[in-house]
Amino acid sequence: MTTNETVRTRVELARNELTPAQILAGLAFGTAIAFTLLFVQEPLVHDSMHNFRHAAGITCH
Amino acid sequence: MFATYLQRGVAAGLVAGLGYAVYMIFVGNPLTEYVHDAGHAHDHGHGHGHDHGGHAHAVSETTMAIVSAGSAVLWAIFLGGLFAVALYLFEPALPGPEAIKPYVLAAAGFLTVSAVPWLVLPPAAPGAEHAYGIDVRLGLYVGLVAFGAITAITAVFAYNRSRQRGLGFVLSASVVPILAVVGLLALAAPTVTTHPDLSTDLVTAYQGLAVLSQAALWLLIAAAFVGLRRRGRNHSESVSQQSVGALSD
Repeated sequence: MTTNETVRTRVELARNELTPAQILAGLAFGTAIAFTLLFVQEPLVHDSMHNFRHAAGITCH
Repeated sequence: MFATYLQRGVAAGLVAGLGYAVYMIFVGNPLTEYVHDAGHAHDHGHGHGHDHGGHAHAVSETTMAIVSAGSAVLWAIFLGGLFAVALYLFEPALPGPEAIKPYVLAAAGFLTVSAVPWLVLPPAAPGAEHAYGIDVRLGLYVGLVAFGAITAITAVFAYNRSRQRGLGFVLSASVVPILAVVGLLALAAPTVTTHPDLSTDLVTAYQGLAVLSQAALWLLIAAAFVGLRRRGRNHSESVSQQSVGALSD
């Protein structure tokens, strides 16, 4: 790692290292987890995670 | 390089998540059950009878406890992955030496994901009554996360801009945006979550634990990431030394 790196060089580096499909797959995976933990209101899912959502202060409860 | 960051971030999330699951099993689950029941007991006293109605759960307490502990691990892994991607992208812009940067990012993450949204939508104990419906709160939460991110970025930007101008100036330049936002939201935000069936002390303790446990989770993720990185470097150094040794033989 060099000291004169910037955020821009990191973005370029990531673009070169990863294919668009990989980036999309990563984003989709992250979105799926976030959606399940934070937003799903389906009663069974919602109630199973009841304690976690309260204890972790998840807002969307 | 990206893969290394992500791998360490997810591993750090797993380490932190196991700790967080232990917390959920020994504190989060029993306390939430207790608060839940305390609210009910109060209901009965008011002559609502034994009709649990909307309070009843669709799953057993055991299922709830197990899934909640699992969700705790999943949540930490998610935050660890998010942390790794953000660190990879923003590491050059973060203040401090390399070993400190992950902690700065963890603080920014806590501010963005938890602290700023909580100033408007505080952690709710079971039995909380909300002034807004779920859709409004979802929208508010997403907006507040964006607002928190802007606050964190502004603080880091102010720090970098004023780095040459003395420690006092630097600290105030970076702390002022955070204090301004926190103060403004704390004073201006209306109370949208109330706990009519619970004592104020219990609610304060419950919310305090939510804040502390999330802050600890971010700290654990950053510490585990730093530890894994140090270990990975030591390992690769010893491997390269071995290969140099093998070549000279």
